Amino acid sequence: MRAAAVALLAAAPLAAQPAPTASPTAAPGVYTAWVGSEGDDRVSVVRFDAAAGAARVERSVRVGDNPTELAGPHGLGLSPDARYVFVSTAHGAPFGGLLKLTARGDTVAGRVTLGAFPATLQVSPDGAYVWVANFNLHGDMVPSSVSVVYAPEMIEVARVRTCTMPHGSRLSADGRHHYSACMMDDLLVDIDAQRFQIARHLVLTPGAERGVAGAPAARAAAAGGHAGHDMSGHAVESAPAGAGAPATCTPTWAQPSPDGRVVWVACSKTNTIVEVDAARWAVTRRLPAGEGVYNLAVTRDGRTLVATNKRARSVSVFDVASGRETARIPTLRRVPSGVAVTPDDRYAFVTVEGVGSEPGTVEIVALATGRRVAAVDVGPQAGGIDVRLGAP
Amino acid sequence: MSRVVLASTLAIALPVAAGAQTAPSDPAPSSLLPASPIARVEVTPAGGRFTAGDSGQLTVRAVDAAGRPVPGALVRYTLRGAGFEGSVDSTGKVVASSVGKLPLAVVALVPGTRPVIRQVDLEFVPAAAARVDIRTPLGTLVAGQQLRVEAAPYSRAGDRATEPVRWTSSAPNVVRVTGDNLLTAVAPGRATLTAGAGAARATVAVQVVPAGGRATLTASAATVRQGDVVRFTAAYVDRAGRAVAGVTPSFTFSPGDGRLDPDGRFVGYRPGDYQVTASYGPGAQASAVVRVAERGVRRPVEVVGRLARTQFPTSEVWIHPNGRVAYLGTHGGGDRMYALDISNPAAPRVVDSLVVNTRLVNDIITTADGNWLVLTREGAADRKNGIVIADVRDPLHPKQVADFTDGVTGGVHSVYLSETAKHGRHVFLTNDGTGAVDVVNLDDPTKPRRVGEFRTARPDAARYVHDLDIVDGLLYASYWNDGLVILDVGNGVKGGTPAKPVLVSQYKYDLDSLYREVEEVSSAGYIRGTHTAWRQRGGGKYVFIADEVFRNGNVKGAKDASASRAYGTLQVIDVSDIERPRAVAWYTPDNGGVHNVWVAGDTLYMGAYDAGFQVLDVSGELRGDLKAQGRVVAALNPADMEGFVKNAAFTWGVVVNPKDGLAYVNDFNNGLWVVRVLPRRGERVLQ
Repeated sequence: MRAAAVALLAAAPLAAQPAPTASPTAAPGVYTAWVGSEGDDRVSVVRFDAAAGAARVERSVRVGDNPTELAGPHGLGLSPDARYVFVSTAHGAPFGGLLKLTARGDTVAGRVTLGAFPATLQVSPDGAYVWVANFNLHGDMVPSSVSVVYAPEMIEVARVRTCTMPHGSRLSADGRHHYSACMMDDLLVDIDAQRFQIARHLVLTPGAERGVAGAPAARAAAAGGHAGHDMSGHAVESAPAGAGAPATCTPTWAQPSPDGRVVWVACSKTNTIVEVDAARWAVTRRLPAGEGVYNLAVTRDGRTLVATNKRARSVSVFDVASGRETARIPTLRRVPSGVAVTPDDRYAFVTVEGVGSEPGTVEIVALATGRRVAAVDVGPQAGGIDVRLGAP
Repeated sequence: MSRVVLASTLAIALPVAAGAQTAPSDPAPSSLLPASPIARVEVTPAGGRFTAGDSGQLTVRAVDAAGRPVPGALVRYTLRGAGFEGSVDSTGKVVASSVGKLPLAVVALVPGTRPVIRQVDLEFVPAAAARVDIRTPLGTLVAGQQLRVEAAPYSRAGDRATEPVRWTSSAPNVVRVTGDNLLTAVAPGRATLTAGAGAARATVAVQVVPAGGRATLTASAATVRQGDVVRFTAAYVDRAGRAVAGVTPSFTFSPGDGRLDPDGRFVGYRPGDYQVTASYGPGAQASAVVRVAERGVRRPVEVVGRLARTQFPTSEVWIHPNGRVAYLGTHGGGDRMYALDISNPAAPRVVDSLVVNTRLVNDIITTADGNWLVLTREGAADRKNGIVIADVRDPLHPKQVADFTDGVTGGVHSVYLSETAKHGRHVFLTNDGTGAVDVVNLDDPTKPRRVGEFRTARPDAARYVHDLDIVDGLLYASYWNDGLVILDVGNGVKGGTPAKPVLVSQYKYDLDSLYREVEEVSSAGYIRGTHTAWRQRGGGKYVFIADEVFRNGNVKGAKDASASRAYGTLQVIDVSDIERPRAVAWYTPDNGGVHNVWVAGDTLYMGAYDAGFQVLDVSGELRGDLKAQGRVVAALNPADMEGFVKNAAFTWGVVVNPKDGLAYVNDFNNGLWVVRVLPRRGERVLQ
C-alpha cells in the first residue's frame, strides 16, 4: 500500500530521526522547499527542521487539468518575495506551460502556454520575469527556445530561439545575463536579459572551444561535424564504450557565479564542470566531476559549488577556489536531478527522480560536513526544486 | 503529526480531481520595474483580421504620451495560446493557417523598464467562398408549393465561408426565392436556380408542374420504437393520376419531439403518435401517422467480479485472444502492466506483471495470433519513451523482447496494429512529440523498424493525434483539433500502404461551439479535442468518435471529486461515402465525459469518466440524439471504498470478451470490474 511504502522509505535511511516538535513558525533553522514531481503531477511542500534533522512533506497538490494525462511539472522556482511558486509543466499537447501558484495556498494565480517541453526555470532577481528553457525532447531534433514570461501578468513577452535542447538555465545575480546550455549543440548561450536577444555563445566541444558573438547557427553541432542526435537519455546514459574520449560535452546546466565573473557548465558526457570566464568568454578551468554531472547550484558566497551526478547516483560538493571535490554523497535512489542551496548557504536540497514506480526523494545535504542529514519521499520523478528559509 | 499519518495524507490526497485551485485574482504588484516611457502600442491592422490560408504583416509603433515614437523601443510578438491556428514571426509576419483566433501579445520594451503589452486577438476568417453546396434536394416542384431551401458556402480549404447565400432564379415567374430562403413555385415552367455566395455559384435546374394533383405519403413502418428511423416517401400524382417523379416535398411533423430530415427520414424521441405531413402546396398534402413505442432496451447489470488496485490508478485493459488472460495498464507513476487470469471472471487475479521503463501505460494491444503484445510508454525515467514489444506466447507471463524509441522519445499515447498478408505486420503509433502517426514494421517483433509516418497539414508544433483504429486498411485517427482523419494504409482506395499512408478524408467540427458550456463554467483554454475513434466492424457504416473535454481549472472552493469533471460528446459519423464523412447522431452523457468505446454487434460500451460505465443500443440506422430516444441500455457507477480514490468513479474504458460476453471495465480510480448486462425480465441469458 502506498502510504506504508512512503513511510517506510522515508524512515529507512534516517531511522533515528525524531519527529519534529518545534513550532513551525517560530523555530529557527526551519526551511521550506517546493518540489515538482513529473511522474505524478504533484507539487509537494517539504519542511526541513535542521535542529531535529527531520524533513517531512507538509502537503502536496496536483497540477494539470487533464487527470488522465501527465502535465509533467518539471522546473520550479520561487519569486524573490516567496509569495509565488512558478512551475513549468513539460508535457502538454504538444505545448507545455508555466503555472503560477500561491506559495501559501497552492492556488493557481496564473498560467501561460509556452513551447515544447518547458523545463528549467528561474525567476529574475527583480521578480519581473520568469525564464523558462523549452527543452523540446520530442521527436524532431530542431532548435528550440527560451521563453520570457512577465510574471505579474503571466504573459510570455519573448521567445528567444537558441539551439537544440536548451536546458539548465540560470540568470546572473544582476539579472543581466541569462545562460543556458544546449545539450545537443554543445553550446553555452548568453542571452542579453534586458533586450531578450542572444548576445553571444560559446562552443563547448572538447578541443574546439571558442566564444562567438551573436546567435548560433541553426544546427551548430551539425555544422561542426558533431553528431547531436544521441540524446543520451537525458544524461542518464554514458558515452559509448571504446570510442575514446567523448566527442561532446553534452552540457546540461549553466550556473553563473554570484559575482558574475565565471559560468560553470556541467558537461554530462565528459563528466567535467567547465569554468568559463564571463568577461573573456573563454574556458579557463575544467573540474573533474561525477559521472553524468547534471545540475548545478552555488552558494551565495560563491565558495561552494554543488552538482548532482545523474549516472553516478551521487551529489558532489566542490570548493570553488581550489576546484577540488570535497565531498561526494551517494543518493538513496537512482537519478539525482535538481539541486537548490538554502539562502543561508548551509544546506543543499537535492531531488532524486527514482526509476519507474519508485517515489522521488528530497535529500538534504549539510554543506559544512558534506553529509546527508535528512531525506523524505515525494512523488516520482522529482526534479525542480527551490527552497527558502522559514516554515511553510 | 507522525510520518505514517503524513504518508497516509499524501496517499489519500491524490484524488483524480483534486488539483490546485484557481485564485480569483493575482494581487501581485506590477511595479517590479520602472515605468516605461512608452505610453501605448499601436498595432496595424487594428482589427487583426486575416484570411485563413493567407499571410500578412503587422506593423507596430511604440509611442509616448505625446504620440511620438519612442527611440530604442524593442518590439516582440508572442502567442498567448497554443498557436494551433497560425504563427507570427519576429518581424510581425502573420501566417494564418486555419480558421480561429490567435491570441497575441505585442510587447514593446525599453530595456530596464516595465514592458508595455498590447493584447491582440488575431482573427483568422475563412477565405472567400469557392463553392456552394445546395443541401435541399431540388428537381421538380408543384405550382403554389413553398419550400425552405438551404445552401452552404465553403472556402477552397473546406471551411464554412461567411458570405450570405443569395438565391436567384432565371425565371422568377416560374420560381422565386425570397431573402429568407423561402422558395415559391409560381407557375408551371422551367427555371434555373442559382445559389450564390460571393463569387461562388451553384445552380440547379427545376421544373414546376401544374397544381391540382394530390400527394401521397407512405412510411416504411407504421409502428416503431423510439430511435428507429422511419423512411417517409412522398409522391405527387397529377390530375391525370400519373405519378410525377422527383418532386420535392416539404415535410413537417408534430408533436416536435423527434427529428425529421429533408430526405424524409424520421426518428421519434418519445413514445406516442406522430403525424408527418408532406406538402406539395395548397390542396396537395398528405399525412401519415407513425406510432412510436418505447424502445425498451434498458437492462440491469450485475458485477460478476472485481479486482481493486490501490497502488496506482489503472489505465488500459486488453484481453488476450485466448479470452482467459487480460492485461491492465497502470498510470500516475505506474511502471507496470498486470497480467490477469480471468478464466474465472468472478475472481480475476494478478498472476504476473511486466515492469518497464515508464510511469504511464496508456495503451495495450496484442497481435491476432496472440503471440506478441505492444504497450505504450510515457514518463520514462530517462525520458526516452516509445513502445515496448513483449512476447506473450505464454500469455500470463509477458516478457519484453524489444522497445522502440526512435523519434518517439516524447511519448506514445496510443497504438493500433495492422496485420495483412500483403503488407505484413505494422504498428501505428501516435507520436506525442510531433503529432505524427508513425509506422513501425513488426514483421520481426524483436527488431522494430520505422517505415513511415503521416502528419496533418498544419504547423508542425501544433499538431496532436490521440487515438487510432484500423479496419480494412483504413486508419481512423482522432486528431484532436483536426477532428477525424481517415487514411488509406493498405485499403487501396487512395493507393496507400502502411509505409505511405494517404489521406482519404477528414471530418472537422467546431469544438468551441460544441463545448461552449465548458468555457462558460471555467474559462477559455479548456481541454477539448477529438479523442477516440471506433470504426464499426462487420460491414457497419459508422465511425464513433468521442471528445475528451475538461475544465480549465477547478471549481472555485471545491476539492476532491467536486473540483472537476469531464465533459464530452460521442458523435456517430456515417462513412458509407468514405470521402464524405458526415455526422448523423450523437450522445452526451450526463455529468461525465466519453472516453474509450468498444462496439460489439449492436451494442456500444463506453467508459464515461465521472459518468461511469455506460452501454448504448446502436442497432439499426442512427439519427439524432441517442439519449433522447432511449438508447441507453445500462449504466454502472464503478466506485467503492476500496479504490485508489475512494468512492469516485472515473471510468477509462471497456473490452468485451468474446469468450464470455462479459464487459471488462476499467476504472481509473477503482480497478477492474467484470460486468454482465443482464437480460430483461423474462429473457434468457445468452452466453
